[in-house]
Amino acid sequence: MLRKKRCVAMLLAGGQGSRLGILTRHMAKPAVPFGGKYRIIDFPLSNCANSGIDVVGVLTQYRPLELNAYIASGAPWDLDVVNGGVFVLPPYQTGATGEWYKGTANAIYQNLSFIEQYNPDYVLILSGDHIYKMDYAAMVACHESHGADATIAVRQVPWEETHRFGIMNTDENDNITEFEEKPKHAKSNNASMGVYVFTWDKLRKYLTEDEKDPNSSNDFGKNIIPKMLNDGQKMVAYSFNDYWKDVGTIESLWEANMDLLADQPEIDLHDKKFRIYARNLGMIPQFVADKAEVDNCLITEGCEVYGTVRHSILSSGVIVAEGAQVIDSVIMPGAKIEKGAIVRRAMVAENAVISANAIVGEEGDGLIAVVGQDAVVPEGGKVAAGEQFGEE
Amino acid sequence: MKNIMGIIYTADRENQLKELTAERAVAAVPICGRYRLIDFPLSAMVDSGIRNVGVITQKNYNSLMDHLGSGREWDLHGKRAGLMFLPPFTNNDNVGVYTGFLDALHANLHYLRRSKERYVVSTDTHMLFAARFDAMVDAHEASGADITLMYTRDPGARRNGYGRYIQVEEDGRVSDLESDPTIPHLPYTYLEAFCIRRELLIQVVDETVSKGYHHLTRDVLMDAIRKQTLKVCGYENPGRAWPMDSVQSYFNCSMELLDQETRKDIFPADRPVLTKLRDEMPTRHASGAQVKNSLIADGCIIEGTVENSILFRGVHVGKGAVVRNCIIMQDGEVMNGAELQYCIMDKQATVSENGRLLATQNYPVVVAKNYTV
Repeated sequence: MLRKKRCVAMLLAGGQGSRLGILTRHMAKPAVPFGGKYRIIDFPLSNCANSGIDVVGVLTQYRPLELNAYIASGAPWDLDVVNGGVFVLPPYQTGATGEWYKGTANAIYQNLSFIEQYNPDYVLILSGDHIYKMDYAAMVACHESHGADATIAVRQVPWEETHRFGIMNTDENDNITEFEEKPKHAKSNNASMGVYVFTWDKLRKYLTEDEKDPNSSNDFGKNIIPKMLNDGQKMVAYSFNDYWKDVGTIESLWEANMDLLADQPEIDLHDKKFRIYARNLGMIPQFVADKAEVDNCLITEGCEVYGTVRHSILSSGVIVAEGAQVIDSVIMPGAKIEKGAIVRRAMVAENAVISANAIVGEEGDGLIAVVGQDAVVPEGGKVAAGEQFGEE
Repeated sequence: MKNIMGIIYTADRENQLKELTAERAVAAVPICGRYRLIDFPLSAMVDSGIRNVGVITQKNYNSLMDHLGSGREWDLHGKRAGLMFLPPFTNNDNVGVYTGFLDALHANLHYLRRSKERYVVSTDTHMLFAARFDAMVDAHEASGADITLMYTRDPGARRNGYGRYIQVEEDGRVSDLESDPTIPHLPYTYLEAFCIRRELLIQVVDETVSKGYHHLTRDVLMDAIRKQTLKVCGYENPGRAWPMDSVQSYFNCSMELLDQETRKDIFPADRPVLTKLRDEMPTRHASGAQVKNSLIADGCIIEGTVENSILFRGVHVGKGAVVRNCIIMQDGEVMNGAELQYCIMDKQATVSENGRLLATQNYPVVVAKNYTV
């Protein structure tokens, strides 16, 4: 028998994340590298570690190998504990039935028995495609002090973008009075972040009922939240206005990386009191050669820089050869930029090779060029802005 | 899987590195941006298939314990074997102070007896080299030796008045050994790593301690070689070796590691050197920073100029600061406008704004841990 937990986190690691194109060809979105040393999933997992949450279920049904290998025992996030830990939860067959996750709510429903083991007071629902640092413990405390049935994290978005979000209208006490999914004319600009705290009994009840409804699309935003509101459950909005970025598209992933290069980045990854943990490869320190030119960059262990790197991020083990230029770009682990190659406004995925004198991306403010995992751009080759180069 | 256990002796030669070893064992001396000296023999043992490693400590082992932890980073935290920390303890036979390695082995005979492996590979930690322990054991088995000593032909590993040197005959037998000679006469440097059958080691330790001996090399090995009571052979370790016999040696070694070919020698591509992990973010090279020919660990913020230097994790070089030919250890702080040359800044040391500390190549200056200049 496992000991009771106050709060259990369930991380919806999602499907393919097709808007990331070739970057998610071989891996689920949360496993995509970010910021030189991290993967997207490090942010919610580290938030859990920093919030004292030590049971995390990761729900995924798309190319789990990379994610599984990355999470493994959970040791990098201190989640390799006896009474708890991190568990990758794929859909599974039972005696009678077995099916894929039909929606976000169904994914949790299929794992009710996982949550049941810990008999928690609260369940925290997270998603795996945002870059942010958040103390979930404060949100759970807010949920508790309000005596809420559900608490939804919201942030103020620009009014012109409200039509892209689920908008929460609240009263003066932060009680949610109305929920509008992607409204044309929003009444507020409090957008849901996809981070929810539920009181466990209520969540179990609504998920079970929702499963019985053949017309439901088994989705938190479309079904569970509106149903609970209709039923008059106590729903509270929890305001979070620190850095938060959806990295579901090529452009936004690139932008979030570039945000780290600001003079005073809005998200502080140096903060020792709230670290973002990652599986660390333990490579030799970076070597910056005599002829190298490095300006406004994040560079990590295992890199060797002989060429020019400006306003860019180099992940572990990246090699930039003499005469090569990397500008406004994100180079993911193990990629090689050979002599005379030029990489501008681009993302180069793991272990890709940009051969000598090849040109990837274009200057200006056009679309981002992407080179896929293990792809080799041939000598003198060209990858245009907005193009995705590599095995489809 | 090789049937070998490892012993790492960290209790020797603690005074050579002055301030750098004031509060730590030589084995725990930071090197090459993110490592400690012990990482090299320990990783080499793991690479050689060794899964049971005893680390014998004497004084100042706090930082060593902190560094090794449960041995997880080396995959030595398992149930079946793993890392065994062997600090001194006091009982009737053992007053906790070892005069020599033989005493230390005697104090830990229980551990040797309890282990199951056929061979023991033992090494000291005051020399930096990439050891091929598995190849040494292969050579040991092939030659039928009682003891096999690892040595190097690297002329850079010789020091006057320091170190052990051996003569190796054509048949592989070691015919002579000298310890700390004023001028070394014998041709090869003994790397103070050896291989022996575990049961033979227990027997040798038992017999020689009872005769009043304290030192394994000076008393036991030298005797066995000269009187030929044991068959002692040599195994030549490829590559270079750096004795850490002085601050100058430490500094010169570090500077040599800025050369890529030299670095490959102690970081073989197929044998990763493992170390304790710290979750630092990537190093930030700010606008206007100038970095040339330097090794830089993660978590640094560089706003000034860094040339021919090694920065450990979490170092900050402020705006307008100039760091040339320096080693700056973990969390060092070089404030705006400061200038440093030929300095070794120990962990958490600070150089204040516009401070200057210009030493020379043949007399690098050490700023002790936590001190502010």
